[in-house]
Amino acid sequence: MKLLSDPLMRAWVWLVGLSLGSTVIATSVARIEGLGITLAGAAILVLAWAKARIILSRYLGLAQAPFWHRGFSTVLAIYCAGLLGLYLIA
Amino acid sequence: MTDTTPEDHPLEQLPGDLMMWVLIVSELLVFGAGLAAFLGVRITDPAGFASAQDHLHRAAAGINTLVLVTSGFFAALAVRASEHGRIARARLWLVAASLLGVVFLVIKAFEYLEKARQGIGIDTDTFFTFYYLMTGFHAAHVVAGIFILGLVGIRCTPRTVEVGAAFWHMVDLVWVLLFPAIYLLR
Repeated sequence: MKLLSDPLMRAWVWLVGLSLGSTVIATSVARIEGLGITLAGAAILVLAWAKARIILSRYLGLAQAPFWHRGFSTVLAIYCAGLLGLYLIA
Repeated sequence: MTDTTPEDHPLEQLPGDLMMWVLIVSELLVFGAGLAAFLGVRITDPAGFASAQDHLHRAAAGINTLVLVTSGFFAALAVRASEHGRIARARLWLVAASLLGVVFLVIKAFEYLEKARQGIGIDTDTFFTFYYLMTGFHAAHVVAGIFILGLVGIRCTPRTVEVGAAFWHMVDLVWVLLFPAIYLLR
Protein backbone atom coordinates (compact mmCIF):
# COMPACT_ATOMS: atom_id res chain seq x y z
CA MET A 1 0.00 0.00 0.00
CA LYS A 2 2.91 2.33 0.72
CA LEU A 3 3.96 1.98 -2.93
CA LEU A 4 0.55 3.24 -4.06
CA SER A 5 1.06 6.48 -2.13
CA ASP A 6 3.67 7.33 -4.79
CA PRO A 7 1.84 9.33 -7.53
CA LEU A 8 4.06 7.84 -10.25
CA MET A 9 3.40 4.27 -9.15
CA ARG A 10 -0.31 5.05 -8.87
CA ALA A 11 -0.29 6.49 -12.39
CA TRP A 12 1.38 3.35 -13.76
CA VAL A 13 -1.13 1.08 -11.97
CA TRP A 14 -4.01 3.12 -13.43
CA LEU A 15 -2.49 3.00 -16.92
CA VAL A 16 -2.08 -0.78 -16.76
CA GLY A 17 -5.61 -1.19 -15.40
CA LEU A 18 -7.19 1.07 -18.03
CA SER A 19 -5.22 -0.64 -20.83
CA LEU A 20 -6.38 -4.06 -19.66
CA GLY A 21 -9.92 -2.68 -19.36
CA SER A 22 -9.86 -1.49 -22.98
CA THR A 23 -8.64 -4.87 -24.20
CA VAL A 24 -11.24 -6.78 -22.14
CA ILE A 25 -14.04 -4.57 -23.51
CA ALA A 26 -12.77 -5.03 -27.09
CA THR A 27 -12.56 -8.80 -26.64
CA SER A 28 -16.08 -8.99 -25.23
CA VAL A 29 -17.38 -7.03 -28.25
CA ALA A 30 -17.07 -10.24 -30.27
CA ARG A 31 -19.96 -11.65 -28.25
CA ILE A 32 -22.32 -8.68 -28.49
CA GLU A 33 -24.16 -6.94 -31.30
CA GLY A 34 -25.81 -3.67 -32.29
CA LEU A 35 -25.89 -0.85 -29.78
CA GLY A 36 -23.63 -2.82 -27.44
CA ILE A 37 -20.75 -2.55 -29.93
CA THR A 38 -21.20 1.21 -30.18
CA LEU A 39 -21.32 1.62 -26.40
CA ALA A 40 -18.21 -0.54 -26.07
CA GLY A 41 -16.42 1.61 -28.65
CA ALA A 42 -17.41 4.77 -26.80
CA ALA A 43 -16.17 3.26 -23.53
CA ILE A 44 -12.84 2.36 -25.18
CA LEU A 45 -12.39 5.96 -26.35
CA VAL A 46 -13.24 7.31 -22.89
CA LEU A 47 -10.60 4.98 -21.39
CA ALA A 48 -8.07 6.23 -24.00
CA TRP A 49 -8.84 9.80 -22.96
CA ALA A 50 -8.32 8.87 -19.29
CA LYS A 51 -4.94 7.25 -20.11
CA ALA A 52 -3.80 10.29 -22.09
CA ARG A 53 -4.75 12.56 -19.16
CA ILE A 54 -2.71 10.46 -16.74
CA ILE A 55 0.36 10.56 -19.02
CA LEU A 56 0.07 14.34 -19.36
CA SER A 57 -0.40 15.04 -15.68
CA ARG A 58 1.91 12.46 -14.07
CA TYR A 59 4.50 11.25 -16.59
CA LEU A 60 4.94 14.64 -18.30
CA GLY A 61 4.58 16.46 -14.98
CA LEU A 62 1.83 18.88 -15.95
CA ALA A 63 0.16 18.27 -12.57
CA GLN A 64 2.85 20.65 -11.26
CA ALA A 65 1.93 23.31 -13.83
CA PRO A 66 -1.80 24.15 -13.37
CA PHE A 67 -1.95 26.64 -16.25
CA TRP A 68 -0.61 24.16 -18.80
CA HIS A 69 -2.48 21.28 -17.24
CA ARG A 70 -5.79 23.09 -17.76
CA GLY A 71 -4.88 24.02 -21.33
CA PHE A 72 -3.71 20.58 -22.40
CA SER A 73 -6.62 18.87 -20.61
CA THR A 74 -9.16 21.11 -22.34
CA VAL A 75 -7.66 20.58 -25.82
CA LEU A 76 -7.38 16.83 -25.20
CA ALA A 77 -11.01 16.64 -24.05
CA ILE A 78 -12.22 18.54 -27.14
CA TYR A 79 -10.08 16.34 -29.42
CA CYS A 80 -11.30 13.09 -27.84
CA ALA A 81 -14.90 14.32 -28.06
CA GLY A 82 -14.25 14.91 -31.77
CA LEU A 83 -12.91 11.37 -32.18
CA LEU A 84 -15.96 10.04 -30.35
CA GLY A 85 -18.20 12.04 -32.69
CA LEU A 86 -16.47 10.62 -35.79
CA TYR A 87 -16.80 7.13 -34.34
CA LEU A 88 -20.49 7.54 -33.57
CA ILE A 89 -21.29 8.97 -37.03
CA ALA A 90 -19.99 5.80 -38.77
CA MET B 1 2.66 46.84 -9.98
CA THR B 2 1.66 43.21 -9.76
CA ASP B 3 2.80 40.84 -7.04
CA THR B 4 3.57 37.96 -9.40
CA THR B 5 7.03 36.42 -9.26
CA PRO B 6 8.91 35.00 -12.26
CA GLU B 7 8.02 31.51 -10.93
CA ASP B 8 4.31 32.34 -11.36
CA HIS B 9 4.71 32.98 -15.09
CA PRO B 10 3.19 30.13 -17.12
CA LEU B 11 6.39 29.56 -19.08
CA GLU B 12 8.31 29.13 -15.83
CA GLN B 13 5.81 26.49 -14.68
CA LEU B 14 6.31 24.33 -17.76
CA PRO B 15 8.34 21.26 -16.82
CA GLY B 16 11.43 20.60 -18.93
CA ASP B 17 12.53 22.52 -21.99
CA LEU B 18 10.23 24.84 -23.98
CA MET B 19 11.60 23.63 -27.33
CA MET B 20 10.84 20.01 -26.40
CA TRP B 21 7.25 21.06 -25.70
CA VAL B 22 7.09 22.78 -29.09
CA LEU B 23 8.25 19.50 -30.64
CA ILE B 24 5.79 17.49 -28.55
CA VAL B 25 2.84 19.69 -29.52
CA SER B 26 3.80 19.60 -33.23
CA GLU B 27 4.09 15.80 -33.13
CA LEU B 28 0.74 15.51 -31.34
CA LEU B 29 -0.85 17.71 -34.03
CA VAL B 30 0.51 15.46 -36.80
CA PHE B 31 -0.60 12.22 -35.14
CA GLY B 32 -3.88 13.84 -34.06
CA ALA B 33 -4.67 14.85 -37.64
CA GLY B 34 -3.80 11.35 -38.89
CA LEU B 35 -6.02 9.69 -36.32
CA ALA B 36 -8.92 12.05 -37.03
CA ALA B 37 -8.49 11.36 -40.78
CA PHE B 38 -8.51 7.61 -40.06
CA LEU B 39 -11.82 7.83 -38.17
CA GLY B 40 -13.17 10.25 -40.79
CA VAL B 41 -12.44 7.87 -43.69
CA ARG B 42 -13.83 4.99 -41.61
CA ILE B 43 -17.26 6.64 -41.89
CA THR B 44 -17.29 5.79 -45.61
CA ASP B 45 -16.75 2.05 -45.04
CA PRO B 46 -17.20 0.93 -41.41
CA ALA B 47 -17.83 -2.71 -42.40
CA GLY B 48 -14.69 -2.84 -44.57
CA PHE B 49 -12.60 -1.29 -41.77
CA ALA B 50 -13.98 -3.81 -39.23
CA SER B 51 -13.23 -6.69 -41.59
CA ALA B 52 -9.67 -5.47 -42.19
CA GLN B 53 -9.18 -4.91 -38.46
CA ASP B 54 -9.87 -8.62 -37.85
CA HIS B 55 -6.45 -9.32 -39.41
CA LEU B 56 -4.71 -7.36 -36.66
CA HIS B 57 -3.22 -9.01 -33.60
CA ARG B 58 -5.07 -7.26 -30.78
CA ALA B 59 -3.35 -9.22 -28.01
CA ALA B 60 0.13 -8.28 -29.32
CA ALA B 61 -0.90 -4.62 -29.50
CA GLY B 62 -2.37 -4.88 -25.97
CA ILE B 63 0.92 -6.30 -24.69
CA ASN B 64 2.77 -3.51 -26.49
CA THR B 65 0.58 -0.96 -24.66
CA LEU B 66 1.60 -2.45 -21.30
CA VAL B 67 5.24 -2.48 -22.46
CA LEU B 68 5.15 1.19 -23.46
CA VAL B 69 3.33 2.53 -20.35
CA THR B 70 5.79 0.58 -18.18
CA SER B 71 8.67 1.99 -20.19
CA GLY B 72 7.25 5.49 -19.61
CA PHE B 73 7.10 4.70 -15.88
CA PHE B 74 10.80 3.77 -15.94
CA ALA B 75 11.64 7.00 -17.79
CA ALA B 76 9.74 9.00 -15.15
CA LEU B 77 11.70 7.17 -12.43
CA ALA B 78 14.92 8.12 -14.26
CA VAL B 79 13.87 11.79 -14.08
CA ARG B 80 13.18 11.47 -10.36
CA ALA B 81 16.52 9.70 -9.72
CA SER B 82 18.47 12.36 -11.65
CA GLU B 83 16.72 15.13 -9.70
CA HIS B 84 17.91 13.47 -6.49
CA GLY B 85 21.47 13.32 -7.82
CA ARG B 86 21.38 9.54 -8.27
CA ILE B 87 22.93 9.54 -11.73
CA ALA B 88 23.86 5.83 -11.78
CA ARG B 89 20.32 4.87 -10.85
CA ALA B 90 18.92 7.29 -13.45
CA ARG B 91 21.05 5.59 -16.11
CA LEU B 92 19.73 2.18 -15.05
CA TRP B 93 16.12 3.36 -15.39
CA LEU B 94 16.93 4.86 -18.80
CA VAL B 95 18.43 1.53 -19.93
CA ALA B 96 15.34 -0.30 -18.65
CA ALA B 97 13.05 2.15 -20.49
CA SER B 98 15.09 1.74 -23.69
CA LEU B 99 15.05 -2.06 -23.46
CA LEU B 100 11.26 -2.02 -23.23
CA GLY B 101 11.29 0.24 -26.28
CA VAL B 102 13.24 -2.49 -28.08
CA VAL B 103 10.69 -5.08 -26.89
CA PHE B 104 7.93 -2.88 -28.37
CA LEU B 105 9.74 -2.78 -31.72
CA VAL B 106 10.34 -6.55 -31.74
CA ILE B 107 6.63 -7.25 -31.14
CA LYS B 108 5.77 -4.68 -33.82
CA ALA B 109 8.19 -6.37 -36.26
CA PHE B 110 6.51 -9.75 -35.64
CA GLU B 111 3.16 -8.08 -36.30
CA TYR B 112 4.40 -6.66 -39.62
CA LEU B 113 5.93 -10.03 -40.59
CA GLU B 114 2.65 -11.78 -39.88
CA LYS B 115 0.85 -9.31 -42.15
CA ALA B 116 3.45 -9.78 -44.88
CA ARG B 117 2.97 -13.56 -44.72
CA GLN B 118 -0.76 -13.00 -45.20
CA GLY B 119 0.03 -10.90 -48.27
CA ILE B 120 -1.16 -7.72 -46.57
CA GLY B 121 0.73 -4.56 -47.48
CA ILE B 122 0.35 -0.79 -47.36
CA ASP B 123 -1.66 -0.78 -50.62
CA THR B 124 -4.01 -3.64 -49.69
CA ASP B 125 -6.83 -1.27 -48.76
CA THR B 126 -7.46 2.11 -47.12
CA PHE B 127 -7.46 0.64 -43.62
CA PHE B 128 -4.01 -0.88 -44.06
CA THR B 129 -2.65 2.27 -45.70
CA PHE B 130 -3.56 4.15 -42.51
CA TYR B 131 -2.41 1.23 -40.34
CA TYR B 132 1.08 1.11 -41.86
CA LEU B 133 1.52 4.87 -42.09
CA MET B 134 0.45 5.58 -38.52
CA THR B 135 1.98 2.61 -36.72
CA GLY B 136 5.11 2.86 -38.91
CA PHE B 137 5.50 6.58 -38.18
CA HIS B 138 4.98 5.85 -34.49
CA ALA B 139 7.55 3.02 -34.57
CA ALA B 140 10.03 5.47 -36.16
CA HIS B 141 9.45 7.73 -33.14
CA VAL B 142 10.11 4.79 -30.81
CA VAL B 143 13.46 4.28 -32.59
CA ALA B 144 14.23 8.00 -32.22
CA GLY B 145 13.17 7.87 -28.57
CA ILE B 146 15.51 4.97 -27.81
CA PHE B 147 18.34 6.94 -29.44
CA ILE B 148 17.47 10.06 -27.38
CA LEU B 149 17.27 8.06 -24.13
CA GLY B 150 20.71 6.64 -24.96
CA LEU B 151 22.11 10.13 -25.55
CA VAL B 152 20.72 11.56 -22.31
CA GLY B 153 22.02 8.47 -20.52
CA ILE B 154 25.53 9.40 -21.69
CA ARG B 155 25.15 13.11 -20.88
CA CYS B 156 23.10 12.48 -17.77
CA THR B 157 21.94 15.65 -15.98
CA PRO B 158 18.51 16.37 -14.46
CA ARG B 159 17.70 18.70 -17.37
CA THR B 160 18.74 16.35 -20.18
CA VAL B 161 16.96 13.38 -18.59
CA GLU B 162 13.76 15.42 -18.17
CA VAL B 163 13.87 16.54 -21.81
CA GLY B 164 14.61 13.05 -23.14
CA ALA B 165 11.91 11.47 -20.97
CA ALA B 166 9.40 14.09 -22.18
CA PHE B 167 9.94 12.93 -25.78
CA TRP B 168 9.47 9.33 -24.64
CA HIS B 169 6.22 10.18 -22.86
CA MET B 170 4.96 11.86 -26.04
CA VAL B 171 5.56 8.55 -27.88
CA ASP B 172 3.64 6.83 -25.07
CA LEU B 173 0.80 9.36 -25.24
CA VAL B 174 0.40 8.93 -28.99
CA TRP B 175 0.25 5.14 -28.64
CA VAL B 176 -2.51 5.14 -26.00
CA LEU B 177 -4.66 7.04 -28.54
CA LEU B 178 -3.58 5.08 -31.65
CA PHE B 179 -3.99 1.64 -30.08
CA PRO B 180 -7.72 1.77 -29.30
CA ALA B 181 -8.66 3.64 -32.49
CA ILE B 182 -6.83 1.32 -34.89
CA TYR B 183 -6.96 -2.03 -33.06
CA LEU B 184 -10.05 -1.99 -30.88
CA LEU B 185 -12.87 0.20 -32.19
CA ARG B 186 -15.53 -1.81 -34.05
